[in-house]
Amino acid sequence: MQAIELSIIYVTSFAILLVGYLTAISSKDLIRLLIALELMFGAVFMSLIPLFSAISNAAFGIAIITIFTSSGELLVLIAAIVTLDRQKKNIYTSSVTIGGDKV
Amino acid sequence: MLLLLALAGVAVLSSIAVLLTRDNFYASLYMSATLIMVAGVYALFDLQPVFVLIVFIFVGAIGIVTVALAATYRFAPERQISGLWALPVIITAFILGYSVYASPLVSSEKIQFALENFITPEYLLLILFLTALIILLMLSVLKMGVGEREGGKS
Repeated sequence: MQAIELSIIYVTSFAILLVGYLTAISSKDLIRLLIALELMFGAVFMSLIPLFSAISNAAFGIAIITIFTSSGELLVLIAAIVTLDRQKKNIYTSSVTIGGDKV
Repeated sequence: MLLLLALAGVAVLSSIAVLLTRDNFYASLYMSATLIMVAGVYALFDLQPVFVLIVFIFVGAIGIVTVALAATYRFAPERQISGLWALPVIITAFILGYSVYASPLVSSEKIQFALENFITPEYLLLILFLTALIILLMLSVLKMGVGEREGGKS
């Protein structure tokens, strides 16, 4: 893998991760938060590509762990969406008033 | 390299579309497009097993569930982004750029990966544990849903 290809991959990965962060902090509902988290996982997948040239088996293991983590995150957020919808009758993140600091 | 640039460019553009669109449904579709482009980069480097994993499991299952959820709860949220976030972003970009520049990952060799070498007892045990974890999570979600429904009836 050439240096220029490596740079393209890492810059793309960082850009997708950044957009994921921006989407997460600007999200007003849990669906947008879920989309933002999956974008971040996409960035993780992108950054894994160079590892395949050095430690391919470990990189594939990390890719599998990432997919399982993403599945777990999806299940947890589905549970959160269902619970919030039943209790608050909406899925806005502003409905959650417990926890966090006021600045 | 031109193809890599094209795939990376489309991936970044579609991820920016996720941020800019106001509709969750279209945001989830753009997210799926981004992930497919990422998988395309894997195919470009001849890493077919990971391409199949991402397209058929990550996008095919997780992405489509997200699209279905977004279609169910479809409304336009408002955005608020502070410009102060630019500072940590620039610092992180600098650190990342320097680490890439200083890393020994750059080599002219073609990526060599064979799925047969991966299937060892250690990795199979890892996959078994992760599958058990996901099943436990699914059972917990089901229990929450059924338990709350039964609680609501009584």
